Amino acid sequence: MTNSIGEIRDADFLFVIGSNTSEAHPIIAMEMKRAVKRGATMVVADPRAIWMSTIAEKHLQLKLGSDVWLLNAMAHVIIEEGLVDQTFIDTHTEGYEAVRDAVAKYTPEEAEKVCGVSAEDIRWTARKYATTEKAGIYYTLGITEHSHGTDNVYALANLVLMTGHLGKPSSGMNPLRGQNNVQGANDAGATPIFLPGYQRVDDPEVHAKYEKSWGVKLDDKPGLNLNEMMKTMGKTIKGVFVMGEDIVLSEPNVSKLEEALNNIEFMVVQEPFLNETTRFADVVFPAAVFAEKEGTFANSERRVQRVRKGVEPPAGARADWEILCDLAKACGADWRFENTAQVYDEMVRDAPKFAGMSHARIDAESHEGKTGLQWPCPTPDHPGTTYLHEGGVLRGKGLFQPVDYRPPMELADEHYELLLSTGRTLYHYNAATQTRRETGLHAKQDRAFVEIHPRDAKMRGIDHGDTVRVSTRRGAIEAHAMVSRQVRKGCLWMPLHFAEARANLLTNDAGDPVTGTAEYKVCAAKVERVGVAKDASTAYPGSDYHVSGPRPGDTDLSTNASA
Amino acid sequence: MIARSTVTLQGRQVPFTPGETILDVAKREGVEIPTLCHDPRLDPAGACRTCLVEVSGQRRLMPACATKCGEGDEITAESERVERHRKTLLGLYLTDHPFSRDEAERGPPNELLDMAERYAAPTDWGTLDNKRAARHGDRNPYIDFDPELCISCARCTRYCDEVEGVTAITLAGRGSETTITTVDNLSLMDTTCEMCGGCIDTCPTGAMAEKLPLTHGLKKERELTKVRTTCNFCGVGCQLDLNVDPEGHDGRGRVVKVTSPEPGTTTNDGNLCVKGRFAYEFIHHEDRLTTPLIRGDDGELHQASWEEALRVAAEGLMGVRDRHGADALAFVSSSRCTMEENYLVQKISRAALGTNNVHQCAAT
Repeated sequence: MTNSIGEIRDADFLFVIGSNTSEAHPIIAMEMKRAVKRGATMVVADPRAIWMSTIAEKHLQLKLGSDVWLLNAMAHVIIEEGLVDQTFIDTHTEGYEAVRDAVAKYTPEEAEKVCGVSAEDIRWTARKYATTEKAGIYYTLGITEHSHGTDNVYALANLVLMTGHLGKPSSGMNPLRGQNNVQGANDAGATPIFLPGYQRVDDPEVHAKYEKSWGVKLDDKPGLNLNEMMKTMGKTIKGVFVMGEDIVLSEPNVSKLEEALNNIEFMVVQEPFLNETTRFADVVFPAAVFAEKEGTFANSERRVQRVRKGVEPPAGARADWEILCDLAKACGADWRFENTAQVYDEMVRDAPKFAGMSHARIDAESHEGKTGLQWPCPTPDHPGTTYLHEGGVLRGKGLFQPVDYRPPMELADEHYELLLSTGRTLYHYNAATQTRRETGLHAKQDRAFVEIHPRDAKMRGIDHGDTVRVSTRRGAIEAHAMVSRQVRKGCLWMPLHFAEARANLLTNDAGDPVTGTAEYKVCAAKVERVGVAKDASTAYPGSDYHVSGPRPGDTDLSTNASA
Repeated sequence: MIARSTVTLQGRQVPFTPGETILDVAKREGVEIPTLCHDPRLDPAGACRTCLVEVSGQRRLMPACATKCGEGDEITAESERVERHRKTLLGLYLTDHPFSRDEAERGPPNELLDMAERYAAPTDWGTLDNKRAARHGDRNPYIDFDPELCISCARCTRYCDEVEGVTAITLAGRGSETTITTVDNLSLMDTTCEMCGGCIDTCPTGAMAEKLPLTHGLKKERELTKVRTTCNFCGVGCQLDLNVDPEGHDGRGRVVKVTSPEPGTTTNDGNLCVKGRFAYEFIHHEDRLTTPLIRGDDGELHQASWEEALRVAAEGLMGVRDRHGADALAFVSSSRCTMEENYLVQKISRAALGTNNVHQCAAT
């Protein structure tokens, strides 16, 4: 996020795209609700009706994967109507002309045909965004989990740069991070391209610094990203170490991955619970959970906060950092860390962006009524950074990137006539090894479900609560049908949390060419009824936020269409 | 020079920003004014009347939480008149509220009882029947409502409405029968409730309380140790307090419940979601792994010692490297683990085994 969470409540315009905020980031959603209550305008762009769209001024229910069309059309309107911030463009950016030329053909009228969003709504949103001083963009995996995810992000960034909505409070570009420490994992260098603090492995100076610091020879060519690792599994990859991720549940197209895992020579897994992935492990280390260890997490707004030990792990289990130190030792490395504060100190020693932070500082200080420190924080007397790009873009000049629409890798056809999208729900978390062990969360949502539009359900003789089989070119699973107008006609949606109905047996592992992020959000699918609902009234484990009644043209449908 | 707006508070001239309430100014100046229905996250309600103070030019006492400062106001928060009012008010509250802590404390400290003690409120004014209706048989797993402890301050319903925005609970009935309920007295499970537990967090008396510690007969909040940490679910980074019974689980400690920090002190402003507040049972779940496992020749995982497991793991990884080169290894780190642990994984990968093939689910 270029802004902080605390700035959301002061925003006057919120453009929420590809983010089911109230379910995936409930506390950020509370801040958005506060802004709307104060009088801010919110526009939600999402193929599904979600809770946030019920309080939004407009819901742009675009077709799956048509984001580039929508965003380019907004840019088109902003340029056409002279709403660009020319001073910001001249001072802080480069490459504007290329984008101006590229979006010329993306007229709102054409966009309406591709996106299914009215040209008038596109114009209205573009005007409102461009002319509101405190206007922020908020997005999540609905933007990035596409084979054109990078294009989506560039298209958003173009909007930000041409309107100068950057480097100011409540005004910026804000990806909401999905995991507690996904920011921190990247910060700490668990990426194939970067050493800690976003220093490239192939930068000769960085390479030399780390070889000296660690006292070993280091490889200076970037490694494989996760998507590439999974695709080369069993081929060039022969040995795997996995800590705290259930890859066999959460990676796309998992049946292919399972087959590949049978062809590797060795696998180590570090987990608090047995899961789908441990089925393939040669060694499993029992790990502690967050309440049992010390350390830090970095949140979505680059805020580094402390994790503190409240209880001892169960006898026999150990904290991941302790296991890692012992494993390194067993591999011949000579590391001496007595606690996580020392690990942190070593990490920041060679990473200038974090050099001012330490466990002791994070424990002792609070800023503006908030705990933790937001990087960049280069020196011990630096207060941290609330929002990025203040007084100019960090890299010097913000670079416009023209993008052209590319359709998703898989589109509906005569064999797989629907489009499937996947996501999270409020009541579970990712692979749900933790949340499905909670009595209350289980009571609230105990089974896998798939949302289907009443017309699509009717055509296939599917009633609310029926057991249906959802299949794609990669696999098939069974789930309960949830007949609802939350999804567009022709679309299905299902959560990824359920091990007995793994949505990722279905998803497409086609990756974005830049990031390798897989297309979890769109693939072609079909659905058929395999079992009848026992009791349709209680068969519904999801949440239906679509409040309006039948629509014109729905009247010929039988009663099973009402959700 | 621009004239600054000031009021006189307890005989002292203090500045205020137009729009600030008497309570805002008193908080900043360190003048104590008791409140029950006030929560900084909510619009002022002025309902509980505990914060009444004297304001010059006003015949009646004024609620500090809902009265905006006016230029030159003389405000008296401690006087014989204010004190008499507080005692009377708290005495009245106690006539239909249990005042033994055993009965009246269902987990969190009861702010009404604390206040009654501090202001020496009378407890001998007799006992009235509490006429508030309960919502019996609500099968929701987390939130329990005890009408005996309710003082109708409406913090819970206002939180549900103003902060969480789902309006699942509401005030119903009139006068002494005013109670907290749902549409048609439905179970919270069948309403728009998203189980954020904000009603429990904001309730000053424990009328709204968490079910699990109650049903398991666990220790009350006063006897627990609070450990501030960061939530392990999504990327918001909410701060939360593990409420630990250090003697639980044979002295290894037991997380009895999770509470949120004071509003205004952390990014989450005292709020938590259903997962942050209630999803802690997994910590002590019987399925937790407690011993290293090694896959045997029979294809099954078997218990092993730490020495053995570490040796087999290291030999296995180094063996792959020796046979196929370091880039035949892949390290999948975790965005659920700490920064320190991620640092160590990439260091093992790069420094100990020699490959940049290290990543985590940031790309997914």
